[in-house]
Amino acid sequence: MKSVLVLVLLLVLVVLPVPNRPPGAEGQFLANTQLGPPPIPADNPQTDAKIRLGQALYFDPRLSADNTISCATCHDPKTAWANHNPTDTGIGGQVGDRNSGTILDSAHMKFQFWDGRAASLEEQALGPIHNPIEMGETLENVVRKLEAIPWYRDMFFTVFGTGVTTDGIAKAIAAFERIVVSGPSPYDRYLAGDREAMGPAAVRGLRLFNGKGHCTPCHSGPAFSDQSFHNLGVGMDSAHPDLGREKHTGDPLDRGKFKTPGLRNVALTGPYLHDGSEATLMEVIELYNRGGVPNSDLDPLMLPLSFTSREKQDLVAFLEALTGTLPAIEAPPLPPGAQALPKGGGR
Amino acid sequence: MMKHTRLIGCALALLALAALLPSTSSAVPVFARKYGFTCTMCHTAFPQLNDFGSRYRDNGYQLPGREGEERTVLEGPAPLAMRTSAGYTYTTFENVLDGEEVSQFQLNGLDLLSAGLLGAGIGYLAVYTPEIAAMRGTEGQTGSLEMASVVFSNLASPWLSLRVGRFEPAYVAASVKRRLTFSPYEIYEYAGGGIAFSETQSGIELSGRGGAFRYAAGYVDGAESNNADDGPGDAYARAAMVFGPGEGQTVGQRVGIVGYFGKARPMVLTPEDEDCRRSFQRFGVDVSLNFAQVHFAGQYLLGRDDREFWHFEEDADFSGGFAEVNYAPLVSLIGFARYDWVSGPEEIDTDITRITAGLRYYFVDQLAAHLEYSKWEKEWTVDSEEEFVAARLDFAF
Repeated sequence: MKSVLVLVLLLVLVVLPVPNRPPGAEGQFLANTQLGPPPIPADNPQTDAKIRLGQALYFDPRLSADNTISCATCHDPKTAWANHNPTDTGIGGQVGDRNSGTILDSAHMKFQFWDGRAASLEEQALGPIHNPIEMGETLENVVRKLEAIPWYRDMFFTVFGTGVTTDGIAKAIAAFERIVVSGPSPYDRYLAGDREAMGPAAVRGLRLFNGKGHCTPCHSGPAFSDQSFHNLGVGMDSAHPDLGREKHTGDPLDRGKFKTPGLRNVALTGPYLHDGSEATLMEVIELYNRGGVPNSDLDPLMLPLSFTSREKQDLVAFLEALTGTLPAIEAPPLPPGAQALPKGGGR
Repeated sequence: MMKHTRLIGCALALLALAALLPSTSSAVPVFARKYGFTCTMCHTAFPQLNDFGSRYRDNGYQLPGREGEERTVLEGPAPLAMRTSAGYTYTTFENVLDGEEVSQFQLNGLDLLSAGLLGAGIGYLAVYTPEIAAMRGTEGQTGSLEMASVVFSNLASPWLSLRVGRFEPAYVAASVKRRLTFSPYEIYEYAGGGIAFSETQSGIELSGRGGAFRYAAGYVDGAESNNADDGPGDAYARAAMVFGPGEGQTVGQRVGIVGYFGKARPMVLTPEDEDCRRSFQRFGVDVSLNFAQVHFAGQYLLGRDDREFWHFEEDADFSGGFAEVNYAPLVSLIGFARYDWVSGPEEIDTDITRITAGLRYYFVDQLAAHLEYSKWEKEWTVDSEEEFVAARLDFAF
């Protein structure tokens, strides 16, 4: 009996020194710290002038072929740096096939775009410009147009010591996007010890998120993303499904996989999923509750959840508690020059 | 049964008090501690696994789809945990043992667990049950190394994993080690000789999956039936189909079949006897059905033992099974009920039945108040019965 007690005591000593944190706040997956500053690449350090240049480019519709579409058209600060359409409308009224997602906190994501085809914000920044459905402009034309605008010419020289270049455009926009980050949410304050920061429903939702809901294996870390790709089956039952990451990698194992989006501010950024097919958080939870959409490549982590009505509401309450403070950034006046258009562009 | 009423009253009061306590948790055992998950990630209500937990176990204690990315036991927190159950049990007997009633506190089922990944695709699980001496009316337990196995998962594909060591074999459709009740599955315990199905086994087991199909096959030493160390000689196979999503644990539906072919030494034969091992077989079908928060599981087993086990003229045939239902309206509450039956060999005309019902309330994920009633009856030349009411705390950390 004595040896048993010794064993148990040893076990207690080994196991018990766990800090007193709220439920599910420690471990490999659910991070216990709020989102820190985003990583800055060594070859693109942040400077005030570069950020200012990037901000102007972000809001300038002259980056598009018909001077109507800017980055902000689909990633509008007024709608939490996303927009509320299922998929986006580009030049000439063309409708894309994927939801635009939010720029907020995108600097914390390892991959950009739903299929992760861009490994950095710099890579991502140029993609929509020459996408024929989105901004439909050639990079050569963009450079030519911006060179014709004195303010841009001066700013590129100030920031990069060169004329307007595509590399400079990408770096400036990326530098600007790195300041589009959200501040602490009620969840962060709760983790920091303010037990009143989240209501009882959100606290129950957190337990579900990290338990019965099986959310944390994918929505993990400070950004609530495993920075990986998963097949939820969304759209896979259609005649011509979007193959997602497979389109980029060519690997059949990536069929139907899309990036795990971060969940900070998710309550503000509907509709959801890569095709914007679910309008509300409750609809997304219903999708997960069904175990996704069956298909031969469905992620093995996808399982029906048998949620009760109250559990679904609790989970929504928790997701709403991930809404942080948003950066107070507005569209700057457009640099005057050739083909100047009203501030903020338009469709 | 007057005392039962008083005890049930006390237990209900305990449960009512439990409902007033805060229901949040933090530290949880081994795997939960490694990932920072709560217990309900893998358990409907611990210890019973849900589908996620079932896939995790079958995948060699790695998250499916994350093979090769996970921390090993050397890179994470100490892979140690403990589970035990402490409480009070009141039992009455009729024509069983000497006493007519036993009333005692119990600390048994103390398990020390260690589990984790040794490397990519190589997991292990060890469960040690220390010996606890019975003292002053408190029941003890026998010490044993209940389980210690290494699993090599997804060898080339999900079609093949290999488990080696001492483990709970896949032939039990309902895990004995992770059952909700204290009362046993009667058909798993029933044996004239040969194995009790509830025993862990030493040996190897191959298992795998493809689409809706699941299989397992093992070659083991026969557990407690092999006291004479005759060497391994028992083999089994199980196949199951899952309909709908999930593993049929808590979502989806599952049907399975199982066959066990063993040899054991009947008690009347001495170890020195040549060729003294006799054969026994088990065949069974099982189902696991799920409807929202309601789960139903059932199994029917046929047994055939060599006549030497029972001292009969002919081989002995018997059958039995169980039907179990549980309902989890809340994450923190689960109710369960089960009916067990065994129809013994014709020659002795014995029937055994057991009904069990109870509730588990989880103060936090890893601490449950457990209230259970069970009545066992045996019809034989002299009928006998046993009833117990247990009010206990079941906890793990």
